[in-house]
Amino acid sequence: MTKGARLLVLAAAAAMFAAGPAMAQKQGGTLTVGLELDIPGFDPLKVGVYDTSANIAASLILETLVGLDENGKAKPKLALSWSSSDDFRTWTFKLRPDVKFHDGTPFNAEAVKWNFDRQKDPKNNCRCAFYIANLLSVDAPDDLTVIYHLKDPAVNFPVLLTRPDQNSSIHSPAAIQAKGDDYNRNPIGTGPFIVKSWTAGDRMVLERNPSYWNKGYPHLDRVVLRPLPDSQSRFASLKAGETDIVWADEFEADNIVRAQKDPTLQVLSYAGSGAAVNAINTKVPPLDDVRVRQALVMALDRKKISQALTNGLARPATNPYGDGSWVKCKDDGALPEDPAKAAALIKEYGKPVSFKMLFTATPRGRANGQVLQQLWKNVGANMEIEQVDQATFPPRAFQRKFDIIGWRIVDFPDPDVQMYANFHTGSPVALANYSNPELDKLLEHARVTPDEAKRTEDYCAISRIINQEAIWFWTFQNTYYAVAKAKVKGVPKLFGGVINVSDAWLE
Amino acid sequence: MAVLELEGDTAAVSPVRQSGRRLGGLFVAALLWIVLIGLAAILANVLPIVSPTDMDFLGKRAPPSAAHLLGTDQLGRDMLSRLIYGARISLTVGLLSPVIGLVIGGALGMLAGYFGGRFEALTVGGVDVLLAFPPLVFALAVTAYLGQSALNITLVIGVLSIPAFTRVARAVTLSLAQREFVVAAQTLGATHMRILLRELLPNVALPLMAFFLLAVAVTIVVEGALSFLGLGVPPPAPSWGSMIGEGRESLDIAPWLAFLPAGFMFVTVLAFNVIGDTLRALTDPRPGAL
Amino acid sequence: MARFVGRKLLHLLPVLLAVTLLTFLIASLLPGDLAYTILGDQATPEKVAALRAQMGLDLPIWQRYLHWLWDVLQGDFGRSFRTGETVLAAVADRLPVSIELMLMAEGLGLLIGIPLAILCAVRSGGAVDRFLTGLAFGKLSLPSFMVAILLIYLFAVTLGWLPATGWVPFTEDPIGNLRSFVLPALTLAFAEWPVLMRVLRSDMIATLQEDYIAMAKAKGLHPARILLVHALKPSSLTLVTVTGINIGRLIGGALIVETIFALPGIGRLLVGAIYARDFIILQGVVLFVAIGFVLVNFVVDMLYAVLDPRIRHGRA
Repeated sequence: MTKGARLLVLAAAAAMFAAGPAMAQKQGGTLTVGLELDIPGFDPLKVGVYDTSANIAASLILETLVGLDENGKAKPKLALSWSSSDDFRTWTFKLRPDVKFHDGTPFNAEAVKWNFDRQKDPKNNCRCAFYIANLLSVDAPDDLTVIYHLKDPAVNFPVLLTRPDQNSSIHSPAAIQAKGDDYNRNPIGTGPFIVKSWTAGDRMVLERNPSYWNKGYPHLDRVVLRPLPDSQSRFASLKAGETDIVWADEFEADNIVRAQKDPTLQVLSYAGSGAAVNAINTKVPPLDDVRVRQALVMALDRKKISQALTNGLARPATNPYGDGSWVKCKDDGALPEDPAKAAALIKEYGKPVSFKMLFTATPRGRANGQVLQQLWKNVGANMEIEQVDQATFPPRAFQRKFDIIGWRIVDFPDPDVQMYANFHTGSPVALANYSNPELDKLLEHARVTPDEAKRTEDYCAISRIINQEAIWFWTFQNTYYAVAKAKVKGVPKLFGGVINVSDAWLE
Repeated sequence: MAVLELEGDTAAVSPVRQSGRRLGGLFVAALLWIVLIGLAAILANVLPIVSPTDMDFLGKRAPPSAAHLLGTDQLGRDMLSRLIYGARISLTVGLLSPVIGLVIGGALGMLAGYFGGRFEALTVGGVDVLLAFPPLVFALAVTAYLGQSALNITLVIGVLSIPAFTRVARAVTLSLAQREFVVAAQTLGATHMRILLRELLPNVALPLMAFFLLAVAVTIVVEGALSFLGLGVPPPAPSWGSMIGEGRESLDIAPWLAFLPAGFMFVTVLAFNVIGDTLRALTDPRPGAL
Repeated sequence: MARFVGRKLLHLLPVLLAVTLLTFLIASLLPGDLAYTILGDQATPEKVAALRAQMGLDLPIWQRYLHWLWDVLQGDFGRSFRTGETVLAAVADRLPVSIELMLMAEGLGLLIGIPLAILCAVRSGGAVDRFLTGLAFGKLSLPSFMVAILLIYLFAVTLGWLPATGWVPFTEDPIGNLRSFVLPALTLAFAEWPVLMRVLRSDMIATLQEDYIAMAKAKGLHPARILLVHALKPSSLTLVTVTGINIGRLIGGALIVETIFALPGIGRLLVGAIYARDFIILQGVVLFVAIGFVLVNFVVDMLYAVLDPRIRHGRA
């Protein structure tokens, strides 16, 4: 070998080693993701809220200011650093320079402010405005500085921006202004993938963003997103090799167990915070009597329900936080599971106990409903199942047109947002129609206290009140699942239930 | 070639009456099954069977045992009991709905085919409108306004089956209306009513009855599909169709959850068909078929 | 003949109007106020009233219908409030999928059903007839959502011959396109053939007893010719009727099959629109489906005349 050639080889070797951990990941390839639902679009003004399928897509095309590391703590993404005022009401973010949207326009503070103003503007009637109700305004004093002004203090504000949802994802202002109504199906972000084509109801093809700010990423050349609504055929498509990773949940327990036994497949699971919950309308008799409510909660045998519906995969919940949360309670005030006592309470109430409960018109909803119906029948309460389609849930909830309704507290790095929204007097989603000044005080206090231990105390006290008054009850903690081919690597924890394949690679 | 030997035809058709004893056996079996399932459905409340809704949470998808003669379903409920209670819903909806279609649709179709003109145009138009109308919207509207119940589902499916019966009746009537026997009756001065009832109806009845028996089978399954979409009989009331839907999730672990109700449905529908075949053979001199 | 055709075509318009009006009426009456659905938690009474006024929801139903009709006549079918897609784009994307599925399904159904029906009719009452009858009713007892999953597990997962889900546009890959339709079309065809077979068999047995068949036999005509030319045509009335109904229904999409096989068809679009109370899409889809449906009926009526000359000539 000539001296020049030897140098070349050495240089190449050095470069290879210098690339470091990137050597383990393979570049290239196409990953096909099986989603549960079709995505109506990405414009917050049009769709209001992103569901999990939209979140998964958004995590690839769009980005947020802050990301989550392996431990669920905030790490820089589009923002490099942040700081807050002493009262935690003003937060300043320093943005990453030299980032461009897919259409070439620059990502800067003005873009962040523009996105926020658009969502907040009352003229736009955005359903997404509810989730930023606590944000009063956003300033952009220079290109790389964004200042958020909050109404109520938020000690953990940065992690609230980590979810790839309708509020935190940053869209290109130029693109929205140029495309108008068409923007919904043609999102432009700063993310590692660009939308190449989108056939409604069939598939979305995303291609690698060659000018992505994070050099060396993404590893994949292409990601294909396919909505496969039927759970059995979704799993079949994975086994047949048509998809590489699919969304799943514990109700598909048979398939999950099958996948665990299959060496060519892997099951990704994440025990998140939050839980599957149910809200009781405390203004409607007979549910206005605390004895009836307590009886309903005590009649539940969560282990048996889990066995019946999910082959035991579902983990019982006794408080709204769950094992996946940093809030750990020694005493969360959970009522004991005691059908005999429940029956006694119903008898003590004296009058017949009869009410309706809302369920989605799906096999899962029906199974859920019939199990609860049976358990309550055993203690003398008569529940009638009311089946409605998923779209009817939110309006019925907001208008309080229900006796008992199912809801969910999703996995989120901080319990404040959802707990405040769900239980503070006056909130649109305080579904139980219940007002308790002590509860309000605790919620307000938890918001402003920076000390995690003190906040934990507050949240545990909150849980005790809710459990004792039985205004909401929790069935199972959130366990998020994805089933994938063994060759799929680099998928982080399923925070918030989102399957984030932006850094994934194929072995 | 054997298949095209029409000579063998006339001989092949008359076994309906010739091998009376052989068909008699099948007929008796069919009759027995219908009576059995019918009685079981009617007397379900007093029969010594377990409740169809009680769940044995830890014993789901259990194979047959002393406690559960046909095993349990995916929520631990007794299969035999659910099949019997399911017969109630499935038979009621399965029989009544097509009757609605048969009576209303058949009448409309015959009248349209016979009288023609404006009436026919209106009827055909009306039926077209009903057919082109998205059935799901109709089902949703009815269940939203009148609630979910076996009666309402019967109404929905019944009304949705009218167009098919109308079209079949009309098509057959059209071809018969110019036949010699009709023309002859008209020349003889018979009234429309007489012609319709005496001449046309017996001839239209045959294809309509064949269609009716098919409709029974289809209706039981359609009720299941509607239950699948949350529009059928409200849970926890079982029906064969909804049991098939629920059993679908467990096809490789416990295939009997879906195949038992399908089997019951198959035997019942076949039994109706055999009975219909035999009755027609006994009452109609002209060999036809159902 | 021309008068016959002309009269049938005139039929189109009132039916289209009636169907769209009926859909409009019933959809408007469905529970779930659209304004509330759009506003969600933002729904204060003032905002609801304002949004309703803005969307024209406070006008009487007949006025809203006429507005819609007027827009349609000018070619503006509207946009979905949810996705921003134009109705035309949404329908144009999906209608070809449903039509191709419908053609393949009905074609396969007839391909299976007609020969079996002839076989049964000729051997009526015999062992073959009884076996096929049992098979037909057995197949009817298995709903499409079960057959679909069985087919997927057999052909896609175990054998790997055909794709389990999805669809490839014909222009992109004709073979792949046809392959992706085989299992869905088979699922539907399996549900169709029992009915088609039974009605044809029934009518055919009746026809085979007619005098003119006996006469044809006496004339010494070849059995195949008698069967296929003289017997099949007049026995096809019910078959054509049912096929027409099925095709019309399938144009409106096959929801369950589309969902299981993840095909972007009209059925899913329609149901999605109903559940989201996306009335613009609903109206547009119903309109196009109704057009297709009425055209199919028209063809069916023409076929009646072809199959049975008495219909063509015997009526004023």
